[in-house]
Amino acid sequence: MDLELSDEQQWLSESVETLLAREAHTGRLWGSLVDFGALSVGGEDGLGAVEMCLIARALGAHLAPVPYVGSAAVRFAAGPPAADLGEHAVALAVLEPGASWAAPPALTVLETGPGGGAVSGRKTGVEHAAAVPRLAVVAAAPHGPALCVVEADAPAVACVPQLAFDPTAPMYAVELAGARLATEPLGADAIHRMATIGALLAAAEAVGAAGRMLEDACGYAAERRQFGRTIGSFQALRHLLADLYVRQASSWSSVLYAAATLDEDAGEAARTVSIAKAYVSRAAREVAHGAMQVFGGIAVTEEHPAHRFLRRIVVRERQFGDAAHHERALGRELASIAVPEAVS
Amino acid sequence: MKLTATESERRLQEEIRGFLAGERPDADRLPRPLADRMEALRAWQGRCYEAGYVGRAWPQEFGGGGAPAAEQIIIDQELAAAGAPEFANVVGLDVLGPSLLRFGDDEQRRRYIPPILAAEEIWCQGFSEPDAGSDLASLRTRADDRGDHFVISGQKTWVSWGQFARWCGVLARTHDAGPKHRGISMLIVDMRSPGVELRPMTQITGHAEFCELFLDDVVVPKENLLGGLGDGWKIAMHTLGHERGTAALPRQVKLRTWLDRAVRVAAERTVDGEPMIDDPGAQVALARAAIAVEVLRHHAYRTVGEFLNGGAVGPDSSSVKLLMAEAEQRLAATVLELLGPTIEHGEPGAADEDGFWHETYLYSRAASVYGGTQQIQRNIIADRVLGLPQE
Repeated sequence: MDLELSDEQQWLSESVETLLAREAHTGRLWGSLVDFGALSVGGEDGLGAVEMCLIARALGAHLAPVPYVGSAAVRFAAGPPAADLGEHAVALAVLEPGASWAAPPALTVLETGPGGGAVSGRKTGVEHAAAVPRLAVVAAAPHGPALCVVEADAPAVACVPQLAFDPTAPMYAVELAGARLATEPLGADAIHRMATIGALLAAAEAVGAAGRMLEDACGYAAERRQFGRTIGSFQALRHLLADLYVRQASSWSSVLYAAATLDEDAGEAARTVSIAKAYVSRAAREVAHGAMQVFGGIAVTEEHPAHRFLRRIVVRERQFGDAAHHERALGRELASIAVPEAVS
Repeated sequence: MKLTATESERRLQEEIRGFLAGERPDADRLPRPLADRMEALRAWQGRCYEAGYVGRAWPQEFGGGGAPAAEQIIIDQELAAAGAPEFANVVGLDVLGPSLLRFGDDEQRRRYIPPILAAEEIWCQGFSEPDAGSDLASLRTRADDRGDHFVISGQKTWVSWGQFARWCGVLARTHDAGPKHRGISMLIVDMRSPGVELRPMTQITGHAEFCELFLDDVVVPKENLLGGLGDGWKIAMHTLGHERGTAALPRQVKLRTWLDRAVRVAAERTVDGEPMIDDPGAQVALARAAIAVEVLRHHAYRTVGEFLNGGAVGPDSSSVKLLMAEAEQRLAATVLELLGPTIEHGEPGAADEDGFWHETYLYSRAASVYGGTQQIQRNIIADRVLGLPQE
């Protein structure tokens, strides 16, 4: 029983870090990630949840503007048949206007006709929709919800830019008017799996972004001088930074633990991911806010990077359900298993 | 990375469960009077030692089991999950025993370790003083060198189970020159010596498990020095870190049993005719407590894993300590808030008839103080993990 990374995992973590340090903000990044094997998910030789989380953490730490969460999550959900996705980046079209992450699709439907399946409806908050060749759309179908992969640049798909909180994760409203399926649709199990890994990868990105903010804040506190001494020598800031460290480190522990439950196919995996997402959602923003307090006024300027990390953290906090969403779900589950024993 | 138990770990779990099914230990049914309680705890530890569940990872030549440390952690988790009481010699097992094993000489280990394991001799620790709590290095208890023995005088406090202890590990000042933490030594004091006086302190729970300890010219033979002269601070820091690093997982399991109990309470009680557990606010409060308890497990796995794989217990044990206090305090406060006015009077038939939640809530306030306060843990993280400038 341990959460130590294997030598291979350690190597992967360091290699992806090197890759991002070099290419995070170049046009080559997506191609390099694909070459690196970041999309070779599942199966015997593919990446497991732990490896995907290591990659997502690094992407968060570098604010990489790529649709990794969606592309990796849909492959993880589909399993080995995801080979038909090739190297395509995929954006997830899950959320509908006015609905929560838990709601089944109501405005989007899959209709099957003589010419095959086609999807029609409306989605919101579809990250990177205009920049990817494929969309994975959750749609209502006769036998329950279906996960439908469609071509993003088909005439039946219209992407309208939305005001995005994080400009490095641009958001779109998507209208589908009979968009043809590119691959066989997947069922409710795959959607559940996608939401589970998606929540975990979103949390891992947030941990990466929060870790970077904490590191920068510690560096700043060790250099910035006021009252004739470095501000990091004041106990008020030392204790604040120590608390942020505990939040950040335990967030990563929680993500790793949940990833290991997924990889070991433990029965508690979905619940553990829910716990990690709930915890990290609050913790990452706490770290971001605390780090900005350490930076002081400069962090409220456009040129300082703090707000970019904060923006990514907020977006990842909400994706696949925020803390309140998962806390309510966990609370309902606690209530449902607490069947009172007969009073003796 | 490995979460699921190995085959041999599963066998060990099953073996302990078999043992526990026969013993049916129940911490809630211990006798209330302290001396009777101590006798029951001693007997319980003795039976567990006979069965091989105490000191599993300690060296065989001193009465231990010689097994990997992971086995003791599994055992402690199973005991906690079954609601078993703590061992009588908790201070000997968690604090002074590990110190003796690490810093003692063979003669000391042969003399003291086996009776610690069997609970034949209870140990206590004389570290804190009325004017030396968090600032432990400023302690004033003196041990004067008189050739073949020391003479100790001073006052100690928070001496858990002192009134039942045969031995006390006392931190005392052996010289005044140089940095104050360098002048401290660790001495093994026989509690039957002339000049030893104890005064029990009643805690907010109503129990008196702590004592004040008065030492008045107590003679301690030279061979009772643990480690070298002036090593006391190093020994104390090592053992406190060790305690923080390894105690978290069994403690976490205990918190999970409390959480289950809290959920049962909320399911059984009604407020204004509605089951408390149906209230979404109560559900979220319990969920947040459950998250704190589970994340403690996740984080303890990561830090203990490093220790089990041969690493030292590092400064990250301080983050585990902070999360442990946070989880316990959140859980206890949540139950207090859920039970509402009924917790104040424990009406017959009520969920808290026996005062369990009264005590759990009140004593949870100690969790951010004992073993190094929350503020001390933050200092350790700021210095040794984050490398921030010194104050």
